[in-house]
Amino acid sequence: MVTDLTETTSNSETTAIEIRDLSFAYHEKPALHEITLDIPARQITAFIGPSGCGKSTLLRCFNRINDRIPGAHLTAGTIHIHGIEINRPDIDLQELRRRVGMVFQKYNPFKKSIYENVVFSLRLAGIHQRSALDDSAEMALQSAALWDEVKDRLHSSALGLSGGQQQRLCIARAIANQPDILLMDEPCAALDPTATLKIEELLHQLKEQYTIVIVTHNMAQATRCADLTAFLYLGKLIEIGPTLEIFSTPKDPKTLSYISGSFG
Amino acid sequence: MPIEISPSPENPHRFQRRGFSCERAIKYFFASNAGLTLVILLLIIVFLLKEGLGFFPGYRRELEIYRIAGLEFVDISRKNLTAHEQLSSVLNRAYFAQINGQCARELKRSQEAAAVFNAFSDQTSATRELIANHEATGMDRGSEMLATLNNNHACQKQKALDSLPLTPHLSDTERAELIESIRARDVTTVGDPPLVTALAQQYASAQQQCAMPIAEWRSVIDSFEAAGADLSALVTEMTDAVTTTKEAIQNNDILENDRKSLLAAAANAKDPSERQKLMAEARDSLAEKPDIEGPMQSLMLRKPDCIATHAALRQACEGILAMLPPSLSQSDANRLLLAARKASPLFLEALTGTSQQITQWRHDKPVPLSDSIRSFLTGKDWVTGGAWQDFYGILPLLAGSLMISMVALCLAIPAGVGAAIYINQFASPVEQAVVKPVIEFIAAIPSVVLGFIGILIFGTILRDLSQLDGLAWVPGFPIEERLNIFTAGCLLALMSIPTIFSLAEDALNNVPAAFSEASDALGASRIQTTFRVIIPAAFSGILAAVLLGLGRVIGETMVVLLVAGNRIKIPDFSAGLGTFFQPSHTLTGIIAQELGEVPLGSVHYRALFVVGILLFAVVLGINATAHKFVNRTTN
Ligand SMILES: Nc1ncnc2c1ncn2[C@@H]1O[C@H](COP(=O)(O)OP(=O)(O)OP(=O)(O)O)[C@@H](O)[C@H]1O
Ligand SMILES: [Mg+2]
Repeated sequence: MVTDLTETTSNSETTAIEIRDLSFAYHEKPALHEITLDIPARQITAFIGPSGCGKSTLLRCFNRINDRIPGAHLTAGTIHIHGIEINRPDIDLQELRRRVGMVFQKYNPFKKSIYENVVFSLRLAGIHQRSALDDSAEMALQSAALWDEVKDRLHSSALGLSGGQQQRLCIARAIANQPDILLMDEPCAALDPTATLKIEELLHQLKEQYTIVIVTHNMAQATRCADLTAFLYLGKLIEIGPTLEIFSTPKDPKTLSYISGSFG
Repeated sequence: MPIEISPSPENPHRFQRRGFSCERAIKYFFASNAGLTLVILLLIIVFLLKEGLGFFPGYRRELEIYRIAGLEFVDISRKNLTAHEQLSSVLNRAYFAQINGQCARELKRSQEAAAVFNAFSDQTSATRELIANHEATGMDRGSEMLATLNNNHACQKQKALDSLPLTPHLSDTERAELIESIRARDVTTVGDPPLVTALAQQYASAQQQCAMPIAEWRSVIDSFEAAGADLSALVTEMTDAVTTTKEAIQNNDILENDRKSLLAAAANAKDPSERQKLMAEARDSLAEKPDIEGPMQSLMLRKPDCIATHAALRQACEGILAMLPPSLSQSDANRLLLAARKASPLFLEALTGTSQQITQWRHDKPVPLSDSIRSFLTGKDWVTGGAWQDFYGILPLLAGSLMISMVALCLAIPAGVGAAIYINQFASPVEQAVVKPVIEFIAAIPSVVLGFIGILIFGTILRDLSQLDGLAWVPGFPIEERLNIFTAGCLLALMSIPTIFSLAEDALNNVPAAFSEASDALGASRIQTTFRVIIPAAFSGILAAVLLGLGRVIGETMVVLLVAGNRIKIPDFSAGLGTFFQPSHTLTGIIAQELGEVPLGSVHYRALFVVGILLFAVVLGINATAHKFVNRTTN
């Protein structure tokens, strides 16, 4: 199946996602233009940019969840994850999505118990031993810093949790699969500052194990969490660099005007 | 400064509401519409209750007459007589099944030959008679008319000869001989062709031959039949006596009612002379109390007689039934024999219990209102318009309705929900665009038209199919009745599929895309997402869809009236799956069928209203439950 490992660039150890000349369109309407970008492993990369600039679209290319949208398609370019081109026809989408987890802007736990939400992906994989499920559930909830709050009511409905807890549950659900990469599309947009802080702390811990890509509208959040920040504008990548550099000495005037708040 | 609370019209404040607004008029218009529907619903309920509730007192009186006139007493014996007759009929059928099974070949040959000849006569006899009439009236033989007729006859004859039915059991020479003898017939030939007669004779002699070895059994059956003669005579005699009493009481009731209404009119009359007249009329119509005690006493004198007859019958039957052969060689006959063997201990037991029933029966035991309610709700008979006694028992109708609904749901749930799942989750846009309107179109077919289709396709074809030998292993086959529970269930399933499909599809559609997106992002396949996320999330909506489908099925009238077979009887559950191939009647069907024929205000009329109330309550309950589920999804 996946034989083309020679294609792999030399730095595949440290680069989790390699994007080359990526263009993307919804039907005839282009949304991304020739984006080239390396996302390093075990670091947090933030995408910032004004609304509608294509951050979500780019992020959703990494697990090909865009395939769900009729008419959405890649027009040019490649995406390699750990050296493998993910748009090849012989890619097993389910396996890809198991390796590349995703957390959405609006928390969306299933109408099931907390426990069943967390072990959902394990059940999909056909794991039914109680002990294995229990272990994974505890591990994932611990990692998502939710364990202490819910350990007494694992079997009550997930919809009874607060918004912040539900979002952390969704993170736990994504982690339970033990993915390599975690994509987060504005994970704190629907949360209050306290819940946001909790999740940011969580990101710092998760960084040890996972490559994290996060979309955010919140500059402060980007500065607090991200190692690397990429600025997108009108479907183009304007600038990428270490977060501190981007926010202190942006090279492009558009970046400067965006972070200084003159638009967006 | 004090605040001015009531603004004066001369000096309006800034936000003063002015005059009549169009908005308010529109609001009131819609409010009145909504109110009207509520009022109509209320009126319907009140009307149903008003017409229906009078049923129970009326029925109570009927049951009371049934008792005081002694009909109930006679029915104790009559029940046994009927059981005896049924048992004899089963034994007789077994006997003939045995004989006919043994001479099946002769029977078939005779039938086939007769069928050939009948097919021929059916096509030609009309013209033949015309010709015969013509000649009888003495018209001249050379007339043009006669020539045409003769010509027609020849054509018909040829046509008939060309399309004779198959005769697999006749040899080729026999068939040729038969056809030849038919061809040789002319207008004046009478009598059957020789082969038909010969085969009929062969069959008769074969029957006699086969009957010989079981002649002993014949005499057993005959003596069993004869044993019932005494009871039969007794019942007939008592029947005459009690029906006279019953009629007298009923007439008296009618007169009494008249008198009451006259008195009521008199009480309301203003003019004193008018009142006098009405009072006098009422006094005149004061009927003589019919004599109940006299006939009853003479009926009670028959008690020992009854008991003795029953005891004698029991004794005779016990001996006779013990002489039944253990088994028969023909499978049909054997099945009937086994049925008779199974029924006979029950029959004997019933006979034993009768003497006690007879001694304990009392004509003056009161009939409380609760009896009429119980008899309605748990009665196994719905008998109306008979000379003997009417019974309004809901069970046969309820059983029919429930079984038909069960069949319909068993077929419609998988089809409707399955189609909804497929269309919503797996179908391509083209399939969606084609299938959805087509399924929804089914709902637009008038149910009478569906009834035609049902009679033709489901009824006739299914029955013919079931009679193929190769399909005899299917439980319930062969089907005897063309119109039955299964046919009605199939059609109702067809009618409720659009309801279930549309609502279930809506429920699936209403599952937020975020759920399936999350599931996809976790690496679920399409099927996994559908069955683990979407269907559980839409479950209560799907349940509501099914319930609303059920409501539609129970309330449907036209189709069941046309294809359910309309036999008012609790299905015979001993037939296993074959139960579903029996005809039956339904709650809706009975109303549609009988309401037009009953006298206004009679007990029967009110009974139909009570059935309507029951139906109304059932459907209302189903819809309320469905709404609960719908609300649960939307929350
Ligand atoms: N399903 C879709 N169909 C068609 N066009 C879409 C669709 N989703 C997004 N787009 C278009 O693609 C462009 C990029 O959208 P995208 O959602 O990626 O922006 P974004 O940067 O995530 O914005 P926001 O910050 O508001 O979430 C927009 O112009 C948008 O109109
Ligand atoms: Mg977005």
